[in-house]
Amino acid sequence: MTHLSFRTDDVELEVDYVVVGSGAGGATAANALARGGARVALIEAGPWRDPDDYPSTTYGAMRDLFDDWGVGIARGRALWPIVQASCVGGTTVINCAICVRTPEDVMVGWERDLGVGNAAFRDAMWKHQETLERELCAEVVPVATAGRSNLLAAKGANAIGYDNHPMTRYVKGCAGSGQCLQGCKKLRKQSLNLQFVPEVMALGGTVLSCAPAERVLLDGRRAVGVQGRFREPVTRRKGGRYTVRAKKAVLVAASVTRTAPLLMASGVKHPLLGHGFRAHPGTGVFGVYDHDIDQNIGATQGWASTQYRNDPGMKLETLAIPPEMVASRLAGAGRELVERMGEYRKMAMWVTAVRAEAVGRIKRGFFGEVSVEYGFGRPDMERLRKGLAILARTHFAAGAKKIIPGIYGLPYEIGPDQVGLLEEGPLDPRAYILIASHLFGGTTMHKDATRGVCDENGRVHGYEGLVIADASVIPTTLGVNPQHTIMALARTFSERLLGG
Amino acid sequence: MILWLARSAMVTFYPRTERFPGLEDMPLDEYLARYKRECAPIMWLGFVLGTLFFHITPLFTVFIPLPAFMLSVETRERHAQRLTSHPFYYVRQPVFLVKMIGGLLWGSDPAVRDRLGLDPYPADPGTRRLA
Repeated sequence: MTHLSFRTDDVELEVDYVVVGSGAGGATAANALARGGARVALIEAGPWRDPDDYPSTTYGAMRDLFDDWGVGIARGRALWPIVQASCVGGTTVINCAICVRTPEDVMVGWERDLGVGNAAFRDAMWKHQETLERELCAEVVPVATAGRSNLLAAKGANAIGYDNHPMTRYVKGCAGSGQCLQGCKKLRKQSLNLQFVPEVMALGGTVLSCAPAERVLLDGRRAVGVQGRFREPVTRRKGGRYTVRAKKAVLVAASVTRTAPLLMASGVKHPLLGHGFRAHPGTGVFGVYDHDIDQNIGATQGWASTQYRNDPGMKLETLAIPPEMVASRLAGAGRELVERMGEYRKMAMWVTAVRAEAVGRIKRGFFGEVSVEYGFGRPDMERLRKGLAILARTHFAAGAKKIIPGIYGLPYEIGPDQVGLLEEGPLDPRAYILIASHLFGGTTMHKDATRGVCDENGRVHGYEGLVIADASVIPTTLGVNPQHTIMALARTFSERLLGG
Repeated sequence: MILWLARSAMVTFYPRTERFPGLEDMPLDEYLARYKRECAPIMWLGFVLGTLFFHITPLFTVFIPLPAFMLSVETRERHAQRLTSHPFYYVRQPVFLVKMIGGLLWGSDPAVRDRLGLDPYPADPGTRRLA
């Protein structure tokens, strides 16, 4: 078992497969390859933090777990933060481990429109998802630890009469500590730093942490390894160089915002590299109740509705956030803002994530910096408004006395007879505080090499031994949380590699 | 100087009230020094620019040709409120980072959490697996 963390001396290794990125895609791929008997090296830009290392505060989470403090943004008319992790286990450490099988209509669409997959592909994906659910202890959020916010959301949705459900998550016996976003110190969330990565090491693999990859080594049009340099995670001091040579293949799963730029930096040529960026951007609305909700107690996310996944195209879910995040999320400043925080315990935050039709682009700048160009058009803004209005009605149906929409141009708080203000709300994205979540694309799959960067096995068209194994390959939005799909794709691609 | 300006801006966003302590009651200087040391350089740059923006714009919000740090507490607070609710996105946005960084300290302070009836946070270990 070998783990190489920050070091000042140079390192050279040779293995069968190198996997860049240890999140949902990379850790799953490395694990599948190691189980298949291959010698694997798993390279992670961030540090390896165990539950004893997890922070408690949001400041600590941004410093210790987020990718570069969460400063990545999608730029359009508005600036939207891109929240993802940079640590062993990737975003599985800071997400809520939501487990939703890839919808059939999505994969049928891939086959019909892109020539990607067929019935056998779909069956393989679902078979892998069934196995993953078992291995990672997928469980419906238990009522006992769901927390009031999640239970109220169900009550409100049932009163209105739309489909909704408690979430299924990779969480074994949720303790309801409300700390998913800072890493689960209770060891209940089955993040991949606790699951697949240790197994890779137990099977003889090597894990490099604090080791951002700088380029994929190419010998002509064949990927033969990865090169990078260790970096101390807090001081950013540069350490020794590493070179990991791959006898069989290089798998890149560095995240949607990092994978395409890494290929660009490596000299991989494809006209669509960086194109096809998509997302499920979202924002929330607070309901304020007469009684304490204590959103910080219970599952951070435990309730969802996919009733509107296809029409008009959005997902509804709960999301508990700590007071230090609410403080900057509420409008105002000074004593007014501080006094508004006095209602924190009576607030429940529910969010809508838009299954957006907008398409953006990932670019790599002259100095290697990554930028994402992306923004909503009118149809997506209308979806956003509808989602917020449904959430507001759900809050009122659950007994909220008022809601706080957090939209510029609207009153700070509105009552049950004012929900129309949300439906008629601004169509300018700059009026909303959104986060770009659930990212897709940049190296999308397509049967035709002129219309997609990868084939249906994640192999980059025109190159040998170069496979993409993260959400970068996903060519459309899903309308559901993507972790389960990313993991199943990574396992499918890895098995196909092992099978030749 | 910039830390002093930042302190002034952040205290304006989260001042002491009857119910809650303000940032002036918290180890803000220590926090700012730590934040400067630990955050991503681009984030520090944004924070500095947001702080400067806060201090040079009272003329456009409260119509007084003085930097914000020279205003009375009440006027400075009114300036902060108008900045955060300004019709132009690129006026609201620069100070958002200042407000957010202040909020991270204010909302996680043990005294604030106590007033909210929440347990104090354990310390962030800041450790990682080394081998």
